[in-house]
Amino acid sequence: MTTVRVTARVTDLSIAISDGPQLLTGATLTLTPGRVHALTGPSGAGKTTLLRALLGALPPGARRTAGTVTVLGHDPLDLPERELRALRRHRLAYVGQDPGSGLNPRMRVGRLITETAADPSGQGLRDLLAQVRLPTDEQFERRRPGELSGGQQRRVALARALARRPELLLLDEPTAGLDPALRDEIADLLRELATRHGLAVALATHDPRLVSRCADDVLTLTLTPATRRTPARAPRTRTAPASPAPALVTARGLGAYVGGRRDRRPVLTDLDLDLTPGTRTGIVGASGSGKTTLVRLLAGLHPPATGTLALAGTPLAPSHRARTREQRRRIQLVPQNPLGALNPARTIGATLTRPLRLHFSLPQEQCAARVAGLLRSVGLPSEFADRYPYELSGGQRQRVSIARALAAEPDVLLCDEVTSALDADTATGIMGLLSGLCADHGLALALVSHDLPLVGTYADTVLTLGGAAPAPVELSQGRVGPG
Amino acid sequence: MTVRKLVRTVPALLLVLLALAGPLLAPHAVDQPVTAPYATPDAVATLGGDQLGRDLLSRLLSGGAPLIATALGIALLVTTAAAALGILAALRPRLGRWLERAADLAILLPAVLGIMLVALAWPGGGRLAVAAAATVLGIPYAVRIVAAAAAPVAATGYVETAAAGGERLWYLMVREVLPNLRATLLALFGLRFVEGVYIVSIAAFLQLGPQPPAADWALMIRENAPGILLNPWAVAAPSLAIGLLAISVNLAVEGIAARPTPESAL
Repeated sequence: MTTVRVTARVTDLSIAISDGPQLLTGATLTLTPGRVHALTGPSGAGKTTLLRALLGALPPGARRTAGTVTVLGHDPLDLPERELRALRRHRLAYVGQDPGSGLNPRMRVGRLITETAADPSGQGLRDLLAQVRLPTDEQFERRRPGELSGGQQRRVALARALARRPELLLLDEPTAGLDPALRDEIADLLRELATRHGLAVALATHDPRLVSRCADDVLTLTLTPATRRTPARAPRTRTAPASPAPALVTARGLGAYVGGRRDRRPVLTDLDLDLTPGTRTGIVGASGSGKTTLVRLLAGLHPPATGTLALAGTPLAPSHRARTREQRRRIQLVPQNPLGALNPARTIGATLTRPLRLHFSLPQEQCAARVAGLLRSVGLPSEFADRYPYELSGGQRQRVSIARALAAEPDVLLCDEVTSALDADTATGIMGLLSGLCADHGLALALVSHDLPLVGTYADTVLTLGGAAPAPVELSQGRVGPG
Repeated sequence: MTVRKLVRTVPALLLVLLALAGPLLAPHAVDQPVTAPYATPDAVATLGGDQLGRDLLSRLLSGGAPLIATALGIALLVTTAAAALGILAALRPRLGRWLERAADLAILLPAVLGIMLVALAWPGGGRLAVAAAATVLGIPYAVRIVAAAAAPVAATGYVETAAAGGERLWYLMVREVLPNLRATLLALFGLRFVEGVYIVSIAAFLQLGPQPPAADWALMIRENAPGILLNPWAVAAPSLAIGLLAISVNLAVEGIAARPTPESAL
């Protein structure tokens, strides 16, 4: 780079869904080679929309209402299909919020990465895998996306994006769902890519640590008036229960396998777990250690290989199908991926009304008020009841997903990375809400997270899952008040 | 978007309306000779005469409704049954494996052979026998397609959450999975409609299904085949009508089916 070239420039860009909500208002941004530009802001502020505008792929129904975008000398929102494809193929790379769904489930890791690679040799592949800190052995290259954990999928998608040696790299929440050590490594990797290879990097993130570690410039987007949320509830301070109540959910000798018939691997072996009313149990561990499998197992969605489960002293069937409706109401799961957690064919209101009608036979006229109350409790305006999931950002969907679980008034709430797509303020609000339910209603909370500070702050006990052969270790009994 | 949808459904609607109103528009009776057998088009008979000198245009106008009704019935039944079985197979994989093996076995039976068996076993069945055979033989193929399309939907977070949250199987099938298979089911419906037209036409050619002197496009092609050189319209007109019907229905179905909304770009 002899002279300072501008890779992409966005001026006063506003994007809205036709006669619908405003997605982005007045964003201005300049991306130059060798610099990392972070986009931050509360969920729903338009971080993803801005990245998609740079890519020329706005969400369905959305269009530009004002402003200009120039990427590598072209306007991606106005470029003919063919040239846009060439631009994306050779000069841009994008890794979305849910990279797992962008990976062809039938292709193996090796093929996925070399498909668009500038250097498709085996050595090039191993270099890329090493760069994103994935195992470089033959066996890993032969796995399919379905056999990888969420964090591994994310890194494969990143390697795939880097393989074509783009000029502009767009990343949406590149570190969500990764443990802190890996986050730092990814941050350093991005830093190095920018400095050494002269890449322009734009990343949307909630993670202040990532921003401080690798970003040169920061653009903070603010909520547009239409999507401004009511203030989330402040966390309550509470003390741990003096004498622990008997465990509500007990699991003894749990073991489970993942993977297909040929490459079955054990992820959990001989695990004991107690969830007690009014306590918050953190479940932590490296990516791929079986955290998600454990909560799915408790929810009856994953068949255990060994072990027994009990709810309030009564044996609990391993499959959700054999459980009674009351048992299913008492254990609610908030799944990991917020994008797939809501039925795209139904409005938020319909999704939230269903548990009320199913479990409490609440009359239709009372449902609307209850739905509005649930939305408010997770910090969303009550008008969201009329929206469809595609009109919501990842973080907003995650909050709806939490509200749906709360609608069933569960005794046990299993949260799989519930705060990964939320900004710090909203995450604090949500955790405050859940902690309040724990203290006031005796909810037993299982909190799967990579966010060790969050777990340290909110969990009463911590269960650490190891690598391939997990050994449950009681890490800390000392709980600190939130905040 | 909505204008384009309308435009695409117009040809099919027009054709169906024309077929329904056809008997009223027909200039002559369908069973009375008005001209010489296989007469070329003239002032009396716009498209000429058929094998017995009956007016071809009148028979063409009257012959669409029964064919459309039969094909529509077949397509509706096959799509509905396949949707129910396919979604069930996706939500209950163990039962689904049995269903798919059963479908594989049923697919081994050639359709034409199956129709002939049914028609021979039920001689007085006529059109109903052909429709029943086409429905039974069409379901296995359709079940495989719906099951394959429903499998990824059944694995999504919202279906799992609903199942773990206490929903009954029926609710999962109808309210959670079905709305997300709209495009697949509409495409399947269009294909099964064309397949229905095709099977009824083949059956008519084999002298199964509709019997003379009924006016029916499928039957007309067979009846008038010997005179194709004398009055080409006698075969070409019903053939064209069947072709147009198949194309316009698929165009309409494609228009109605919503485009998938990509959750994540690229």
